[in-house]
Amino acid sequence: MLLLLAALPALFWDGAADTASALRDAGINQILVPAARLASWKSVPGIVAEAADLEGAVKLLPPTVDYRINEAAATSAPWVIANGWRFIRRPGGRFYYDVTGKQAALAAAEAFCYGANAMIRTDAAGLKPLAAMLDFLRTLSGEPLPPVADIGYIDDGSAASGEVMNLMVRDNLLFQLVTAPDRRLKLNVKLGTREYPLEDARNPGVVAHAVRFHLTDEKRSLRIFGSQVVVARLTASSDHVRLHLLNYAGAARKVEGIRVRVLGQYPKHQLSLADGAGVELLDYSVEPDATEFTLPELKMYAVIDLLR
Amino acid sequence: MPGPYPGLVVRVHSENSIDASSGKVNPELVKQMISSGMKTLTGDARQEDAWARFISPKDVVGIKVNCSGAPRIRSSPEVVAVIAENLIAVGVPAKQIHVYERFDNQLQTVGYGKYLPAGVNVYAAETTRESILGYDPKTYVETSFYGEQDTRSNVVRLVSETLTKIVNVPNLKEHQASGVTGCLKNISYGNFSNVARGHNAPQTYLGTFIGALAAVEPVRSRVVLNIMDGLMGVWHAGPFSEMPRFRFYPKQMMFGTDPVAMDHKLIDVIEEKRKAEGAVSIFDRSMSHVGKDNTNPNTNHYIREPGHIEYASKLGLGVFDAASIKLKVIEL
Repeated sequence: MLLLLAALPALFWDGAADTASALRDAGINQILVPAARLASWKSVPGIVAEAADLEGAVKLLPPTVDYRINEAAATSAPWVIANGWRFIRRPGGRFYYDVTGKQAALAAAEAFCYGANAMIRTDAAGLKPLAAMLDFLRTLSGEPLPPVADIGYIDDGSAASGEVMNLMVRDNLLFQLVTAPDRRLKLNVKLGTREYPLEDARNPGVVAHAVRFHLTDEKRSLRIFGSQVVVARLTASSDHVRLHLLNYAGAARKVEGIRVRVLGQYPKHQLSLADGAGVELLDYSVEPDATEFTLPELKMYAVIDLLR
Repeated sequence: MPGPYPGLVVRVHSENSIDASSGKVNPELVKQMISSGMKTLTGDARQEDAWARFISPKDVVGIKVNCSGAPRIRSSPEVVAVIAENLIAVGVPAKQIHVYERFDNQLQTVGYGKYLPAGVNVYAAETTRESILGYDPKTYVETSFYGEQDTRSNVVRLVSETLTKIVNVPNLKEHQASGVTGCLKNISYGNFSNVARGHNAPQTYLGTFIGALAAVEPVRSRVVLNIMDGLMGVWHAGPFSEMPRFRFYPKQMMFGTDPVAMDHKLIDVIEEKRKAEGAVSIFDRSMSHVGKDNTNPNTNHYIREPGHIEYASKLGLGVFDAASIKLKVIEL
């Protein structure tokens, strides 16, 4: 996409140039517009516009939680609608969200976590939350770190395989795509093998459960306790781990406390919150094999840098 | 647990302790029942001496109430108030007494504060449901039942960090999943987070989970006394009491340090009542009696697990063998 906007998700705005004041009021000063509108936006002061096209981009689901309270289900766990697996499946892909209101901010944070090339189309109510989130994302320093993976997953490209990936993302089972088993990883998974029969994939939850069982919780680089709606992304270098935490229930249903366990000893930390001034990590504990702490409040998005 | 009186249960009955038509409790009779129960349990002539066997003025005391069926059935505030008064009488400052429960929304419906001596604290571990902040991150039971992501049940932080003694005040109730909910259930499910994961209809893991939780230190050693409030009871569809027809009025209280022996006697009371009502035993495991419509006393959401009490005895928490339990009955 664009040099200007490549590092961050960007607002795709198909309104006419006379809507510029709404953008300025919200704090938006960089946008993507349909090519047909580019000329008119070029003359608008205070807003940098570049042309983009939704065609050919993968449309994403609005990130949220569907609690399905009145539906019978095999599990009482809420249904988290997350797009992480799509980003992992197509790391160089172009994506876009069509979201309203505060979901625009959550969409931006989600795309940022995965370093995805994503456009966000939203309504007037989404402009301010999106602008605030983009401002926050700009404050996060440092080069992107490579993702941490415990599992190598051989994706056959099928819908069933995609859903297994989706459930692994939602269950915070950290994986990367591989084309062949990688012995450096703790576990390798391929559908159609004895451990993961294709027929099990008709219920992808069974496969995700089997993956967790074979990996074991003890070997997981990351555990989340206290919430079923927080999805994490973990990236790392040799002496630095960056943990992204997304509350898919959004700011309206903040999570009051999650306990995090990250394998490895990290005595130093820095917390960055999109919307949580004054919040500090609690009960920080460096154990022989892991670091644990409590984030007392998560509205929408937090980034925690852990350092050796 | 099981404390200094393993296998001993004292039951005090008073016909006028509660008015079954209004639910109004007679505080004066409650005071007498508690005094009588404590003296009979310990053999002391003075109730102050009886309480002093368990509590010293230096203690920070938790009164673990049960509000899972509140506001309809709960640890009666009149009972809780008398317990607090007795603690103060042996020298515990009011500020060192904490009436506590897990869920604030349930606790608030009772309004204990109006009944308690000035200065006694009322505390809930979860002011917002599912908040983990009121729990100790370092003390937990970790196990997986149904593949849930959060496999930890953490102890209430107040219990591990503040209290030195706990007086357990359960109700006398049938429970759809555990069979009965008495001393052990209130100690275990009432002091740990994330425990509902143990039951997923129709089968549950309560047969072993309740005892496992109750045996965890520091809970095990801090629960020094159990006073079961059986003025009112529930014989079906518990622990709630949404259907008045399943309430009854045993008009009794039980006292002991052995939660297993007391819960065995609780089973007897519930079974006797259910039999009188023509309902199947809580030990019934027939799937033909499992269903959604628990307005029928022969239908239940779960296969009940009253065996959790015998299991707890195998963890050393008390005496289950009926022949080894000594019941002392007092009539007022």
